[in-house]
Amino acid sequence: MQSSVFAHRAWRARRVRALLAALAATAASATAAAQPITSPEPPPPGNTRDTSDTGDTGVAAQAPAPVAATSVIVTGRVIDSLGKPVAGAHVTLEAAATTLSDSAGRFRISAPLGATLIVDRDGYDVTLASVLGETLEVTLLAAGTRAEMIEVRGEAPPASPGAAKLDRNELQRIPGGGGDIVRTLTAMPGVVNLQIPLGYTGVVIRGASPQDSKVLIDGFEVPMLFHDVGLRSVVPAEAIESLDYIPGGFEVGFGRTSSGLVNLTTRPGSATRSEQAELSVVDGGVMAQGTVGRRTRYMFGVRRSTIDLLLPSLIGDADLSLTTVPRYYDAQLRVDHELSASWNLMVSALAADDLLEIVGSKNEDAEAKRFRKHSYFARATVSAQYRSGPWSATLALSGMAPTFDATNGLYQRIKFSYPMVTPRAELRRTAARAAGLTDVVWTAGAEAQVTRANVDIAIGTEPREGEPPPMVEDPKDVSETFKGVIWMPDAAAWTSLAANVGSRVRVVAGARGDVYGRAGEFVVQPRGELQLKLAPELTARLSAGLYTRPPEYQSEVLDKTLHAERSTQTIAGLTYEPFSGARVQTSAYYTDRRKMIVHAVDDDSLTNDGRGTTMGAELLATYRNAAWFTWLSYAYSHSTRIDHPGMARRLFDYDQPHSLNAAASWKHGRWQLGGRFQIYSGLPYTPATGSVLDSDRNVYMPVYAGANSERAPLHHQLDLRIDYSWRWGPAALTAFADVQNVYMNESVVTYFYSYDFSQRSSFKSLPLLPSIGLRGVL
Amino acid sequence: MNRPGRIALVVACVALASSGCDDDTDPPWQLDHDRIIAVRSTPPRVAPGEQATIDALLGFKGAPVAEQAPEAAVVLEPAGFEGALARDGARWVVTAPSADQLAAARRALGLATDALVPLKLQVDYAGGALRAIKTVYLGGEAANPAMTDVEIDRTSATPAALVIAPLRDVPLSIARDDATYDVTWLSSCGTMHDFDLPSAYLRVEADDPTSGQLALVVRDSTGGVNWQVWTIEAR
Repeated sequence: MQSSVFAHRAWRARRVRALLAALAATAASATAAAQPITSPEPPPPGNTRDTSDTGDTGVAAQAPAPVAATSVIVTGRVIDSLGKPVAGAHVTLEAAATTLSDSAGRFRISAPLGATLIVDRDGYDVTLASVLGETLEVTLLAAGTRAEMIEVRGEAPPASPGAAKLDRNELQRIPGGGGDIVRTLTAMPGVVNLQIPLGYTGVVIRGASPQDSKVLIDGFEVPMLFHDVGLRSVVPAEAIESLDYIPGGFEVGFGRTSSGLVNLTTRPGSATRSEQAELSVVDGGVMAQGTVGRRTRYMFGVRRSTIDLLLPSLIGDADLSLTTVPRYYDAQLRVDHELSASWNLMVSALAADDLLEIVGSKNEDAEAKRFRKHSYFARATVSAQYRSGPWSATLALSGMAPTFDATNGLYQRIKFSYPMVTPRAELRRTAARAAGLTDVVWTAGAEAQVTRANVDIAIGTEPREGEPPPMVEDPKDVSETFKGVIWMPDAAAWTSLAANVGSRVRVVAGARGDVYGRAGEFVVQPRGELQLKLAPELTARLSAGLYTRPPEYQSEVLDKTLHAERSTQTIAGLTYEPFSGARVQTSAYYTDRRKMIVHAVDDDSLTNDGRGTTMGAELLATYRNAAWFTWLSYAYSHSTRIDHPGMARRLFDYDQPHSLNAAASWKHGRWQLGGRFQIYSGLPYTPATGSVLDSDRNVYMPVYAGANSERAPLHHQLDLRIDYSWRWGPAALTAFADVQNVYMNESVVTYFYSYDFSQRSSFKSLPLLPSIGLRGVL
Repeated sequence: MNRPGRIALVVACVALASSGCDDDTDPPWQLDHDRIIAVRSTPPRVAPGEQATIDALLGFKGAPVAEQAPEAAVVLEPAGFEGALARDGARWVVTAPSADQLAAARRALGLATDALVPLKLQVDYAGGALRAIKTVYLGGEAANPAMTDVEIDRTSATPAALVIAPLRDVPLSIARDDATYDVTWLSSCGTMHDFDLPSAYLRVEADDPTSGQLALVVRDSTGGVNWQVWTIEAR
């Protein structure tokens, strides 16, 4: 055993010497171009990029060497193939300065642009990394897993001013998620914060309507982010690689949304086989990952709720028969296969199934009191990535089969299934220099989305944004009835060009064209961004563009005369990175919304008469080091709209002027402790001032004051989280407790009224919500 | 096609076992509450030249229910039929116009030649603080639903006062099809369960009022409404 360790060290020494020799021989091949702002190039699936050939951005780039290259302070991070930080790695500048990565994998070193760093750590293959900018992420592979593979990845700046990207490890350190890291989205500046997920998909951004934002998983839209009960997202924490939050100003490759988007990236399988299980009071699941041969990685997970086994005993003697309360499944699969040096293939699949059935009586045969909702979807995506020198491309085909099936009593029903298929292709060409510009990236892409919606509905008229809900529902109201098939053939194409103009300025300009086939509408959406390096640590960004959302929400699909909603977004931001691990970013935005879909004044038909504006400012400050992860976010927002010309301006339903989140997490040995304080404004609501009995229908019809003319009170709470990890035989175990609202501050979330609107009561924030669980990895 | 807000709220309330829902409002079956419970036209459909009388069942906080004629009433629609409603002493009376006038109204409203003409009324009580709308159908004939086949504690109901045992489920039923009839049970004594089903039950818990009234309101598909009220005591 001892001799094999010595032999291994000797072999590593030879490898380092050989690499240094190779460096000396190729010193002149370092990139000459000064690149003060890195291009926002997304990482390829599997987080690997083979730069062994002579691409413009590769390690062995063929551009002539500079006479005197500009030195920069490089801050970076060393991670392993699982994305975990690698501490104690030697980061060496070509026989010159050297430093060690800290426990978070972070390092800081001064190096000339174009220089090569040698990254070395026991147990890993030695890796070279080229200094192309001020940030760098280096992936080390376990020794012997992939000989001669050199992996280099630049840490891209946020996708737009105000955007943020967090990986799984960071997300897990923000308390208050109740064990679900996607719920930490509420800590993002600009995300409307309440204790329960909001709206159509579960996330509302910058005070807009819920349907104005999209949730993507691996780049493709999914119909919902959270399971019914709202405590869990449809993707478990361990199956998530990273979360991109882009509240606006996103690039031309994204469309069909007029506000912001959230993109979850699933986790590629580990190079090392492992199995793990987790059980909590909410759900339990298993996950497996590993490799098949040398070229294929897999990740597979499945989860089932457990809360449905516990909840009936909590309901007690209420007049409810909880036939299924609520039961959910979800499953995830991802397979990454390296076809060749240039081609990688990714297959991912995701499915979720939620069933809820409530009979508002102890008599389970009382069909008039039965509410049943069954929603499920499955999405499968096949994606091929090509990368060779300056060229890269992505070809993808994705299909989704979602169904929403609900019945309420004897008369009302919604059955809506809308299978869709989405082919997508995107081509990218990079060049270190072109036409006097540097770090040039040209992108072009196209996609289609063809949906066949099978609709069978018989419901009352659904309220639009700002219209008070029918607090007392008439279960016999089927005024909106439709049964049939609707085709929605949409297509889009886009192109953009990004380049450095001089040493401090980077410009991104592009356009996207969307064809919304049902309405026969074609919309061109120009978008652009200007980045200005004011100082080595300070970057200013200004973006502006047009964004559209097709009419596909609720009964919008029934009306083929509706146009897409439009928004013109203008965002200005500053990013300041004073030292390694610290980042402060601020942004201010103004969004002008037009052609918003509203009910007509005279009847229940829909029109594009609405207009609105949102303005606000956001701050996000983060700091990471070996032990600490801290987070401070604040958002101010003001969202107003005019539903019809001449009408008074009113607040959006989700206008939340103030939202502050401060979180800190400290890790030491086996323990991890975290706390999060949040304070945010209540949401507007429309008060009822009385009612009129419709004696024919036996329903009290409310009389309302002005739409959203009052606001629920401010809410604040403290969440705490503690994790303890240990080994038990071959298993690595982690026990966690996440407690929300520890000092039990009960604030009014909204009000609800008695059946005749003569009395009012409140729906309050949850007094205390503990989440306890155990996770084991084999 | 989702109904996110309501569903999220309902599901959240259920899932969290009502820990966040602080509902101290009167339930819809509570008779001890100021409101209009139902408005009745007798008969609900009126042939040309015939008359119907309008009254309502009212509930009061701290007082028994009462049948009362409206303090004020107006015709909301159709326009031109304002004269069909008139006060007659203490009563409000609808008089159906002639067959020719109804035929003209059908043409104006785009109704079939044999269709009933809906006359929508607004009735006020308590100086306008309590308001309801009621449709009387002109040009036809029908009667309000009969209050028969009612069983209370598995015994055929009579108008006599009721005495029930506390801390026991007391079954209440009326033999009506739930899909055709709208049935509402109300009480100011005990706690009502399944108040909006033909088969309900009443239970007087230890902390419930032990005396009050029990009411049954039945609506049919012809616009007919009827009710019956009992005095009830638990002992």
